[in-house]
Amino acid sequence: MKNGLTAVTYGLTSVVGVAAFLYPFWLPQLAQSSDQTLARANDSALMVAVLVGICFAVLLLEVQQQAVSAQTIALLGVLVAINAALRFAEVALPGPGGFSPIFVLIVLAGYVFGGGIGFLLGALTLLASALVTGGVGPWLPYQMFTAGWVGLSAPLCRPLIRLLQACWPEAGGAWSPAHKEVELWVLALFAGYWGLLFGATMNLWFWPFAVGPAQMHWQPGVSLGDTVQRYLVFYVVTSLGWDLMRALGNFLLVFFLGAAVVRVLRRFQRRFAFVYQPNPALASPAQARPAGAAEGR
Amino acid sequence: MTAALPPETPPRDRARAASQPLQPLSWAGWAAAVATIATLTRQPVYLLLLLASIGAVRWRCVQEPEKHSLSSLRLGLLLFASTALANWAMVRAGTTELFALPTWIPLLGGAWTLEALAYGALNGLALAALLVGFSLLHQVVAVRALLRLTPRAYYPVAVVLSIAVTFVPTTLLQLQQIREAQAVRGHRLRGVRSWLPLIVPLLEGGLERSLQLAEAMVARGFASPAAPHARRAQGLALAGFASLVVGWLLQLAIGTLWWTSLPMVGGGAALLIGLWHAGRQHPYTVYRPHPWQRRDWIVLAGALLAAGAYLLPVFDRSTLFYSPYPTLTGPALDWRIGLATAGLLFPALLLETR
Repeated sequence: MKNGLTAVTYGLTSVVGVAAFLYPFWLPQLAQSSDQTLARANDSALMVAVLVGICFAVLLLEVQQQAVSAQTIALLGVLVAINAALRFAEVALPGPGGFSPIFVLIVLAGYVFGGGIGFLLGALTLLASALVTGGVGPWLPYQMFTAGWVGLSAPLCRPLIRLLQACWPEAGGAWSPAHKEVELWVLALFAGYWGLLFGATMNLWFWPFAVGPAQMHWQPGVSLGDTVQRYLVFYVVTSLGWDLMRALGNFLLVFFLGAAVVRVLRRFQRRFAFVYQPNPALASPAQARPAGAAEGR
Repeated sequence: MTAALPPETPPRDRARAASQPLQPLSWAGWAAAVATIATLTRQPVYLLLLLASIGAVRWRCVQEPEKHSLSSLRLGLLLFASTALANWAMVRAGTTELFALPTWIPLLGGAWTLEALAYGALNGLALAALLVGFSLLHQVVAVRALLRLTPRAYYPVAVVLSIAVTFVPTTLLQLQQIREAQAVRGHRLRGVRSWLPLIVPLLEGGLERSLQLAEAMVARGFASPAAPHARRAQGLALAGFASLVVGWLLQLAIGTLWWTSLPMVGGGAALLIGLWHAGRQHPYTVYRPHPWQRRDWIVLAGALLAAGAYLLPVFDRSTLFYSPYPTLTGPALDWRIGLATAGLLFPALLLETR
C-alpha cells in the first residue's frame, strides 16, 4: 500500500507533468475539433500554469518524506546553500552561454544519495537562489520541476553503469580504474544530456509567449508536425547555442570534478548513517540529559 | 504589566502601525493577480492598464532603487523589444505587409507584416508585466517573510530552505577564503580542471558543518515524529489532483456543462483538505506575530477584484482574447474590466512610504 501510493504519485505526476509541459503541441489539435473548445483553449495557458504548480506540489509532498531526519535536512540545507552560492559566485571561466555549475551537485547527489534527495536538491536550489536574488516568478515552478527531474532521474545511471561494467569484466576488480572511467563517462554524458533538455524544457514555458498557440488557432490546417517544426526552428534560432554551452559545461565539469565529488559524497554518506536512539533508561525526567548523538562518527 | 493598557491606542502606536509593512500574504495575492491577468489577456488596453498599476505601486512603495546593474525596468524593456522583434522576424502571417525580403533567405525571407509585430509587442507587454510585477514583490517583501509563506504541509522543505538561505552568505565567504588560500599557494584558475582545489574543500567544509548542524538540531530536540496520518493526507491530495486533471480534460473535450466542472471542484477541495491535513501534523508557534490589519484585507480584496474580473464570466470575457491576425483592427473593450484592473492600485493608495 505504502509503496503503491508512492509509485502512483511518481507515475501520475510524471505523465501529467510531461503532458502539461508539452501542451503547446497538442492543444491546437484539440481546439480544432470544435468551436467550444477553442473558447476554452484561450484559458489554457493559465490553467496549464496552475496545473504544473499543483503537480509539483503533489510530488513534493511525497518526496519530502525522505527528508525527515535531522541529518538529511541539514545535509540538504547545506548542499542547497553551496549550489546557490556556486550559481552566483564568479568562480572562474566567465560562463559562456547557459553555462551553470549547479547541475554537477544535483546529478551527483541524486546518483549517490538517491532520487528523492536529488529531486529536493534540484528543486530547492532553484527556489533558494530565486529567493536570494529576486528571481521569483511564474516561471519558477517550471524551473523547479525540471531541475527536480534532473536529480530524480540521476539514479537511473546506476543500472546502466553496472551493466556496462559487467560488459567489461576483463578490466579487473570492482574498483579498477577502467570501471571508474565507465562511471564517469556515463555520469558526464547524462549531465550533458540534461543540460540540453533543461534548456528545451524551459523554452516550452516561454514559447507560447513568443509565438503562441493563439497564433496557430486561426490557421485552419496546422498539423502537429508543423507545430513541432516551428518549435524546432524557434529553438535552434534562439537557444540552441546557449544550451550547447550548458551541455558542454556540464559534461566537462562532471568529467573532471565528478570522481572527487562522488568520493566526498560517499564518505559523508557513511558518516551520516548514524542513528540517534534515545536510551529508555535515561528518559525519566530526573535523569534527562542530552545524550551524545555522535556515536556514529 | 499589560493589564494597564489604555482602552484606545495611543497616537504613537497608531503611527507605528501605519508604517508597518503589509502582510506578505497580501503581497503574494497581489502578485498572483498580476500573474493571472498577464497570463490570460493579450488585449493592449488591459495590458497597459496592468503595467500602469504596477508602475504606480512601484513608484509609491519601493524606497531604495535596485542594486543590480540591470534593473528590472530595463530588463523588462529589453524583453519587450526582443519579443516583438523575434515574432516580427519569424512569423509570416497577417495581411498588412510592411516590406518583403527575398524568399531564398532561410527564416527571414518573405513578407514582414504589421500583425506579427503587433502580436509580438503584445506578448512582450505581458512578459514585461510579469517581470516587473514579481521583481516588485521582491523589493517590498523580505526574504524571510517570503519563506514564511511556505505552507505548513511542507514543513521539512521550509526548514531546508531556511537553513540554505542562512548559509548562503557563509558559503560565499568560505569560497572567498578558499580562493585566497589557494592563490597564496600559487593556484591559478585555468580551465575546468583547476576548479577541483576550490570545489572539494568547499564541499568537505560544508558537509562537515552540516554534520555539526544535525547534531545541534538533535541536541535541541529537533525530531520529526513519525506522522501518523501522512499517508492519508498524501492519498487525499493525490486523488484530488487526479480528479482535477480528469475534470479539466473533460472540459476541454466536451465543454463546460454543469457536471464537467464537478470533478474539478471536488478535486480541488480534496487537494486542499489533504494539504491542510498534512499541515496539521506540524504545529508551530510564532515568536513575533504580524497581525492582519484592515489595509491587508483591502489590498487582498483589490487583488481578488482585479483577478476575478478577468476570470469570472461576469463581464465580456471575449474582449480578453484579442488577436491582431489576420488584419490589424482596433481591439474590443469592456470598460468594466479595465476599471477592475485598478484594484491592483490599492497598495499605492494605502502605503505612505514616500
